[in-house]
This record gives sequence, C-alpha cells and structure tokens, in this order.
Amino acid sequence: MPKNYTDKSRRNDRIAEAIIRVGGILVIVSVVWILVMISKVSLPLFFPASATVAAATTAAAAGAARPVAVGADEEQRGAFVFDEKGTCRFLNAKTGAVAAVIPVPGIPAGASIIFAENVGKSSYNLLWNNGVVTPTTVTFTSAQDAGGTVSFTHELSVNEKLLFPPSPGAVQSFVRSLGEKGAVRVDRLEQNKLRITTQTIEKDFLGNEKRGSNHSDITDPLPGQLTAVTVDSKGHFLYAGTSNGMLLRWDISEPGQVRLLDSVETSTGHMAITALSLILGDISVAVGDASGGLSTWFPVKMPGSSEDKQLTRIHELHSAGAPVSLMLPSSRDKTIFSLAASAINADHMTSERNLLSLKSGVPVTLASLSPKGNTLCTLDSNNKVSLWRLDIPHPEISFGTLFGKVWYEGYDKPEYAWQSSSASDDYEPKLSLTPLLFGTLKATFCAMIFAIPLALLGALYTSQFMAPKLKGRIKPVVEIMAAIPSVVIGFLAGLWLAPLVDSSVLTIFLSFVIVPLMLLVTIFFWKRIKHASLLQRITRGREFFAMIPVVMIGIYLAFLLSGIAELQLFAGDFKQWLFSTLGVRYDQRNSIIIAIALGFAVIPIIFTIAEDAISNVPRNLTAASLALGASRWQTAWRVVLPSALPGVFSAIMIGFGRAIGETMIVLMATGNTPIMSWSLFNGLRSLSANIAVEIPEAPFNSSLYRVLFLSAVLLFIFTFVINTVAEALRQRFRKKYGRY
Amino acid sequence: MERAQHQENGQPILSVSNLNLHYGAAHALKNVNLDMARNQVTAFIGPSGCGKSTLLRCFNRMNDLVESARIDGSIRFNGSEINDPATDVISLRRRIGMVFQQSNPFPKSIYENIVYGLRISGVNDKATLDEAVERSLKSAAIWNEVKDRLNDSALGLSGGQAQRICIARAIAVNPEVILMDEPCSALDPISTLKIEELIEELKKSYTIVIVTHNMQQAARVSDVTAFFYMGELVEAGGTRMIFTNPEKKQTEDYITGRFG
Repeated sequence: MPKNYTDKSRRNDRIAEAIIRVGGILVIVSVVWILVMISKVSLPLFFPASATVAAATTAAAAGAARPVAVGADEEQRGAFVFDEKGTCRFLNAKTGAVAAVIPVPGIPAGASIIFAENVGKSSYNLLWNNGVVTPTTVTFTSAQDAGGTVSFTHELSVNEKLLFPPSPGAVQSFVRSLGEKGAVRVDRLEQNKLRITTQTIEKDFLGNEKRGSNHSDITDPLPGQLTAVTVDSKGHFLYAGTSNGMLLRWDISEPGQVRLLDSVETSTGHMAITALSLILGDISVAVGDASGGLSTWFPVKMPGSSEDKQLTRIHELHSAGAPVSLMLPSSRDKTIFSLAASAINADHMTSERNLLSLKSGVPVTLASLSPKGNTLCTLDSNNKVSLWRLDIPHPEISFGTLFGKVWYEGYDKPEYAWQSSSASDDYEPKLSLTPLLFGTLKATFCAMIFAIPLALLGALYTSQFMAPKLKGRIKPVVEIMAAIPSVVIGFLAGLWLAPLVDSSVLTIFLSFVIVPLMLLVTIFFWKRIKHASLLQRITRGREFFAMIPVVMIGIYLAFLLSGIAELQLFAGDFKQWLFSTLGVRYDQRNSIIIAIALGFAVIPIIFTIAEDAISNVPRNLTAASLALGASRWQTAWRVVLPSALPGVFSAIMIGFGRAIGETMIVLMATGNTPIMSWSLFNGLRSLSANIAVEIPEAPFNSSLYRVLFLSAVLLFIFTFVINTVAEALRQRFRKKYGRY
Repeated sequence: MERAQHQENGQPILSVSNLNLHYGAAHALKNVNLDMARNQVTAFIGPSGCGKSTLLRCFNRMNDLVESARIDGSIRFNGSEINDPATDVISLRRRIGMVFQQSNPFPKSIYENIVYGLRISGVNDKATLDEAVERSLKSAAIWNEVKDRLNDSALGLSGGQAQRICIARAIAVNPEVILMDEPCSALDPISTLKIEELIEELKKSYTIVIVTHNMQQAARVSDVTAFFYMGELVEAGGTRMIFTNPEKKQTEDYITGRFG
C-alpha cells in the first residue's frame, strides 16, 4: 500500500475519532448543563433564612415615658416609638435623629397607655388607663426624589368607626372591625373577667343607619387565672390561656351571645400560657408557654363524633427555653416570630422549620414586623431600637412538606396534598410531591400493563409467524403510530375515548375476558381443519385476518352481555353500583383511559425495538430448534425469545422511560387530580403534566415555581436511574443469554 | 436417469424418486433419484449451488420454511411419504436429526442444549435427562471435555466443541438418520479430524447423510458418494468406485479439480 495512502487513512481515522469524541462530550455536557440549570432554579428552596441588623439607634431621651410600641418602615430607614404618654417619635434609623414627634390625636388629659396591640399594617389599638381605646394608624412612608434625597411623611390617624365608650378597669382590650356590621371590643378586666361589647350598625332600605350596642360578660367559670387573651381578626372567636395551661375558645360572632367551644389542656405539666396569637388566616392559634414551648392549634373534627370540632395540637415548634413573652404573626405567610427573653425565633408553622434564631445580649421588650414582613423592629431593655433586615426564602418548604404527610389547616389528619393555589389570599399552598410521584408511577404502570403484552406478543408474532410480505407492510404502519403527535392521542383519549369508556365500562371489562376466550375457541376449531393443506398454505402467516371478525364478534358479544349483566347484577347502573356497594367513585378521566392512551403511545416503541431484537436472532438458531422437532411456538418461546431477551428488555425500558416522561397525553386524559388512590376508576396527576399545567401560573421565583423545577430535577433523576439500571441489567442479560 | 442401487442392508431407509424442487422460477433439483441405506454414511458432493444442501433439507422438510419452495416427486422414509401433507413434521424431524454448517448452540447452558429436544417433547424427568446428556455427550466424544461445566453457557465453547455439542444435541433425541450440512467447513483441521472420527463411530448406530465440499473428507468418511451438478444427480455409487473409477467425465473432472 502506498505510504501516502496509509497516512491519509490514518489521518481520516484521527479526524473521525476527534469528531466522535467531541460529539459525545457535547452530548454529556449539554445533559449536565440542563441538569445544572434546572437545579439552580430549585436549589434556593433549601437556602437558610438570614437576618442582619440594618440599623440600630437609641430611642433617644425618652426619659421617663416608657415605650409601649415600636414600628419601622419597609426599607429600614426609619422607626417610630410610642411612649406611654401617647407620643409617637419618628426616628431616622441611620442617624438616630428625631424626625418628628406627633401625639396621638385626642388624648385624654393625663392619661397613659397601659396596653398596645399591633393589629397589623402599622395599626395599633392603644388602651388608656381610663378605659378608652384609640385605634391608631401610623402612616409612615419614605419617598426618594430624583435627586436622591429621601423625604418622610409621618401621620397619625384615629379610626373613628372603631371607637367604643370607655370600659373602666380594662387591663387589655382588643378591638376588631366587623366591616359594615359594626365593631366588637373584648376587654380583659381586673379580677379575671372578660367582657365583650358589640356595636352593630343596621341600615334600612333608605340607607338610614341604626346603631345598637350590646354587652356580654363571660360567665363561664374560668379554669384558672387568665394569662393571655387574643381575638381573631374578624372578631368571631375569642381565645384565652390560663396560668394552669388551659386554652379556651369562645364563639363571639353573634352579638350578645357567647358560647364556650373549647377548653383544652395544652401541656401535661400545667405550664402557664404566656402568649397567644392567631396565625395568618385566623384558623390556627399559636400558644407560647412559660417553659418556652411553642405550639399551634386548630379545631379538628374528632373521629367518631358528630360534635363540633375541637382544638387540637397540630404543630410543635422550636422551644425557646424561656417564657414566650410576645408573638408576632407574619401577615404574609404562616411564619410566627416569638420573643423569649433575649432571643427572637422565627418558625414556620406548617413546615415546622425554625427559620431564624436571633440572639440579642439584653432582653428584648418590644418588637414588630413591617407589613410586608421583611423588617423586624425590636426594642431592648437598654432602649435600643434595632431594625433587622429579614431574608426568609421559601419558609414553607422543607423535606417534610415536599415528601411527607402534612397536617394542613382544615384537614382532619395529616395528608399528602398538592394544591398550589386557591381563590383566597391567606390560603396556604400545599406542595407535596408525593401524590405526583404516585400519579406518575400509576400512569406508567397502568400503561405498561396494557402495552407490554400487546407489543411483545405482536412483535413475536410479526417476527416469527407473519408472512414476510405482510410483515413488510405491518411494521412501518406500527412505526407510523409512533409518529402520531401525543397531543392528538391525548385529545382523542380525553374527548372521544373517555366518554366512550364512560358509557361502556362493563363492555370493556367483559371484552377482556370474552375476546381471549373467543380466540381460544377459534384456535381450537382451527386446529381441527389444519390438515386441509390448501387452506394452510394460503393462510400461513395471515391467520390474524381470520381473527379480526372473531375479535369484533367478541366485542359485540361483550356489549350484549354487559347490557344483560348491568340489568341483572348491578341494578341497571354499574357506576352507581360501584359507588353504593364498593364505595368506589368513578371519574370519567381515569386510569383505564390513561392505560389505553399512554399504552397506545408506547406500543409502537416497544413493538419496533422488540421486533428488531427478535428478528435479529439468527435463523440458524431457529432452524436448529425446528430440526430438533420443536413446533414454531416452542421455538419462538424457548429459543428466540430468551435469545432476544436483552433487546426485548431494552424495548420495555425505553417504553417505560417514554411513559414516565410523557406529558401531553397524561395532561389531557387524566383529569389531573392529584390524589393518591389505587383505584383504576380514579384519575391522577403526573409530575410532567403538573409542570405543564402549573408553570404558566407560577409567579417567577416563587416557591411554586421552584418546586416545579425541583420536580423536573426529580423527573430527570428518575429517568436517569431507570435507564442506568436498565442498561446494567441488559448487560447482565446479554452475558447470560446471548448477543442479540 | 439410471438409478443408484446400494442396498447392502435390504430396504433403503431414505428413497428419493423423481424429485423436482423449484424456488420460485429457479429449478433447484432436477428429477433426482437416490436411495440411502441404513447405517451407512452417504456423502453429497458437488460445486456450490448444485442442490446438494437443498436435497438434504428435503429429508426433514426444512424447505417448508422457504415460502417459495415447491416440491414434486417422492421421498420415502422407511417406506412412508415425507412430502405427504398429513405427515407429522414434528415427529419426522425427531427421527431425522440435523447438524448445520455453522455450529449453532442455543444461548443456554450445555446441559439445556442437550436436553432441549427432550424437553420440547415433554420429557422433564431429571434422571432421564441426566442419562440422555451423559449418553449423547459420550457418543459425541465430548463428555470428558465438558462434564465439569455442564451448567456453563454453551456460547463459551470453541467452534469444534460447539459443533460436537450440536451433534450431541441431535442424537439426544435418538434419531434414525443424522443429516450433516457441511459440518466441518468452519472448523480447524484438528476439530475436523475429531468430527470425522466421530462420524465413523456414529455410523454404527445411525444412518448419516453428509454434505461436504471437502473431497478428502467424503473419501475418508463415506460409504456411498453422490455427485451433484446444476441440480442434477450426476453419479452415485460406492465411494471407492466414485473416487477411483467414476463413470461420468464430469465427476472425474470435479474430483480431479478441473472445476468446482
């Protein structure tokens, strides 16, 4: 061979090798890159929360007047302090300079504030020692002009609508607006008493207002000394805690009527309840006790009783180790901040995560959260005001909420739930991936159970028994099936198949029995006439044509029989019978539909690959078996199929991978109900369909958005693991059984 | 055409008369008449495409697998017609075994390869199977080489060993006739020698029909030789006679290497 020719071919080899190598590396790199990109979006779900002191300043020469409430703006630029004389000082948080001093409008002369309740959005109910409550709102905004100078607006206003006549002897007062209907005021009086005052406004058809007022004292015997009281934001329920650890709940929604709903023990050691606070949404109440224990409670319907719901301990949160003196619920989510001596803890109720544990050297006396929940303002016993900038990404996400059972508000027991949105704002998204994983696997297994027997038997028949001419036509036709867009299959499944199955479930079930039976009977008779050689020669490899009418007759028989069976056995309505006798609900979009539709999508893949594998088994093996006196079926079953096993296994795994990742069909044919039910008659929601359904609705970088990316990562890992295991198994099969 | 008569043992076990075979339009076997005697080795020789393998495959009806094949004429096995549609092909193939050109062990263990023919006929008794394995491996002269690894895959054997396993597999079902289609063409000389010795041994119990390209082999192992050319049986007779004193010029030319 001439030297330059060998040089040339060697060079070509090197070039080809380089191209192949670069291509392979590119594939690996792009797959890894995709994984990294989707992981990057989902990772912040698990980032820890942080808090930094953005500004700290001394609450100046407050001198004798004791501070009773503090607050801050969203940008940590300014703070304000109410003192007991009713003066509000606005401070520049950076410099400590007093920006403004404004007294609460209409202060009674010489009175002092004995209790201040922050009712959110910079509103404070100030209780004076003469029994008057002034609901005061602080308007405190900062604005930056084009030149970059920051200017503040400060204003105090009193909400006249919520003014009540004085209630002498009140120690703590809670005023709630009832909207158009008026307002309610709950007083905790001296001598362990509670009084409820309701002011009602009724409008007649002319628009004339008629005001009424209603007092009612709580007459129920209290199980101990009252130590903490709170009222929900709608003024419907009154909660009280006692020194011996009893938690009480009254219904005060009807003016003049007070009904004790609950009286439960919160701890076995009769630990005094030191703080009570409702969590956003007004369903759960957080209870802090003298030992630092923090738990949340909400009413749950007791099993086996038709009575009212009873307050139940739901979540146990991080224990601070010191008496809980104050709790601040976030107005954004189910996070609660609790003050215990010099520590401030932030806990998320549902995920039970201890988000932050802030330590301050000296005891903290007052604290408040800004309306958006990103600034925490604290005042310590040295009169120092600190503004914390909070960064709490995704407090509701934890491993437990993503994969475990969670006891959500309003549920009777802990459950796996996916429900990402609802009409109400204070609604808590439920982001458990477990029902979606379950749905994915259920859809896949249903589809595989339907597809594997059909595809494999079809491949075996086509490869081993069918006339070669026919095979040349049938195989491309089945392969074209794989080219049908999945949206078309999904569309047909959802809009044509589902109603059809709905109206003929029983026919379908009977068909599964009758059609194979009919085939067996036909084959039995077929064998009888087999020796008629002419017939045999003509039909060889084309027998299935004769089977088509048999299958159709079978289906027709099933149809006839199902009508009779439905009348005789199932009282005329099979679905009704299912529900009333077995308690099984029938959904129109159910797992049968998905088995058929998704099965239809994976059959061509399994069929084609399996058929290739089976056809690749050398003819001389088949010949050897036949020459030993094996029948064609024995040959196919005992020699061909085992030899083709690695390839057949690959076919199944590739079909499996396709079924797991399939989106459109599952999306359109399952009803997308994220439930965990083993019933064939129920729908499901798969991971992939869930991503498709929810991603357009998910706000950018929200928890939902990131959880959807996390489910994409899971899907990726899922298919990766399956493919790897499949390949490993295939290699083992190959070693053991053969080369094809 | 003159009919070859070699009936030392009385009735011929296989008797071909006026056999014609067409593959579609191609006339592959032209009016073949031939008898094969019991417990003898008959060798078919001839150039490639002369129809010798085709004839061999007629004996166990392997041509059934070829859709375009059409057969006229008669082949009698122990007096009964093979081509009769009523003939049970499965029992026919059990009585006429076959060994192929390429060794084709199943991707199973050696043991399972040997007992395959028995298992498909419904024999599952362990003792019977064990006995058949030992007997047929011993008959195929490979027992000593594989007796310690009967459960290993048969795919791990060398070509010669694999071919002897295939022979053992064929004789495990106790056939009367063994058809061998160029059994040594893919083997080295030592393996070939072993197979030839084996054929010598097997002829005591079985009738053997062997197709071969190797004239020396035909001369060494066979009792009767039939020479085919272009689908026709040119000449058949005692091996010694064919190789030393053929009647036809064509035969002599082929044997002496003038063509083929």
